[in-house]
Amino acid sequence: MPPWGPSRSSAATKRAASGRLRGEIVDYILLGVVAGLAAVERKGFLQAMLSRPIVLAPAAGLLLGDLAGGLAVAPALELLWLGAVNLGAAVPVHEALGAAAIAGGAVLAGKALGTGVTPAVAVLAVVLCAPLALAGRKADRLVEQQNERLAARADALLERGDFRAAVRENLYGLAMPFAISAVLAPLGAAVSAAMVPAVLRHLPGAEGPLAAGWIAFTAFAAASAARAIRAPGAPVAFFAALAAGTIAILLAPGGVR
Amino acid sequence: MRIPPHTLVRVFWRCLFLQAAWNRRGMQNLGFGYAIDPALRVLYPEPERRKEALRRHLAFFNCHPYTAAAIVGGAIHHEERVASGEEPGGASQAYKATLQGPLAAIGDGFFWTALRPFFGALAALGTLLVGWPAVVAALVIYNAIHLALRIRLFRAGYLLGDALLGEVARLSLPSLAGLLRVGAAVLAGLSAAVVVSRGAMGPAGASAWIALLAAVLGYGALSRGARLLPAAYAVIALGAGAALAVVRLRGGP
Repeated sequence: MPPWGPSRSSAATKRAASGRLRGEIVDYILLGVVAGLAAVERKGFLQAMLSRPIVLAPAAGLLLGDLAGGLAVAPALELLWLGAVNLGAAVPVHEALGAAAIAGGAVLAGKALGTGVTPAVAVLAVVLCAPLALAGRKADRLVEQQNERLAARADALLERGDFRAAVRENLYGLAMPFAISAVLAPLGAAVSAAMVPAVLRHLPGAEGPLAAGWIAFTAFAAASAARAIRAPGAPVAFFAALAAGTIAILLAPGGVR
Repeated sequence: MRIPPHTLVRVFWRCLFLQAAWNRRGMQNLGFGYAIDPALRVLYPEPERRKEALRRHLAFFNCHPYTAAAIVGGAIHHEERVASGEEPGGASQAYKATLQGPLAAIGDGFFWTALRPFFGALAALGTLLVGWPAVVAALVIYNAIHLALRIRLFRAGYLLGDALLGEVARLSLPSLAGLLRVGAAVLAGLSAAVVVSRGAMGPAGASAWIALLAAVLGYGALSRGARLLPAAYAVIALGAGAALAVVRLRGGP
């Protein structure tokens, strides 16, 4: 064995570590881009459900290499924020930013732990990143104020006879929503990726209770969805389906896994 | 003067950017001007007339982003007549002012509070049961409906002008919306049922009761005006605490 053997192996570890770091940086960039695009799709362009949590969370998971992890958090987030809709001039919570940060954070924390997205990982990611949906709403209000400048610039360009430039101001409005989500979603996910593994390693007994917390959260999210549907028959429909569905599933041979 | 079809396609594409620069003062005004501009370019070769027309369409506007396509179409319908001198310049403005409120109400009432929540809840339940194919299926069906209606509304606005509302009424969206809302509530209830029954089959059977309580108490709290995220944190804490208590009572690890 050559005398530089050990140092070579430490160089290999370093190389592996720097490769891992590069992989992580790529993960955060991908998450930022997908969160930014979702923020644009949500309001400024298209509105084809692509930025809803049920689509965005699996998409983020897929990009970060864990589709199953994204799918594990998607239904609860979709149901929780089913009522987050943009009616008239009202600004809803930023469900897309929240979903991107939570899904990204859960997947990256699951990777760091080597367990994937368990219920305990999912619930901790929700606890840490859900407030970003409120921060996103604040940012949206700011953006709407800033956009008045674009409108004023368009008016000025119109008076100068520069028609193309005047209407092109519209597209510049896409930049800020993109940037805000592209920065905040990876930041939130990074907090999850750092804190969730730390919590679960220090409190090994917390896994079970936290899993129960996740189940409670998902059931609550379904109730929040029913509550967000403003129809006279909604409460009856929700509770009847809950009762009938529970009985049917429990009595069904084999049940649901 | 008629707008060539490829220009109409361009305008429709630009309608998808209606809210790109949504602002407090003019709301979707910039988006509207951006969308209709290719048509104005064809109709008004003289800069002064084009400026006047574009100024009209950079005035306040707000509607639902899908149903607004009908108003963009209808505004072009009127601008063709304004350009040829059949109608006064204010005709397209009056059209927009009259229709934006009713069409916003129809769009919010059908797409935002019925169709999309229905497909969101359907995709959520489907994902709980079968995984990603449910997401793809819901996305494809939702967008087939959404894009078909968006294109149809744009065409109807352009071809029919003021008669557009009759076409919209024929779609009977409000009664469909009522059905979709009840359907969405059923799907939410079934999703909760799946969660409850999984809790029953998990290692700690107590999770089923915790889930059931979370759904019932959560609904009650939200009905009484509890805020969403604080209520969610309380539910998570209570759920985890209850599971911990059950483990302790059973003398487990």
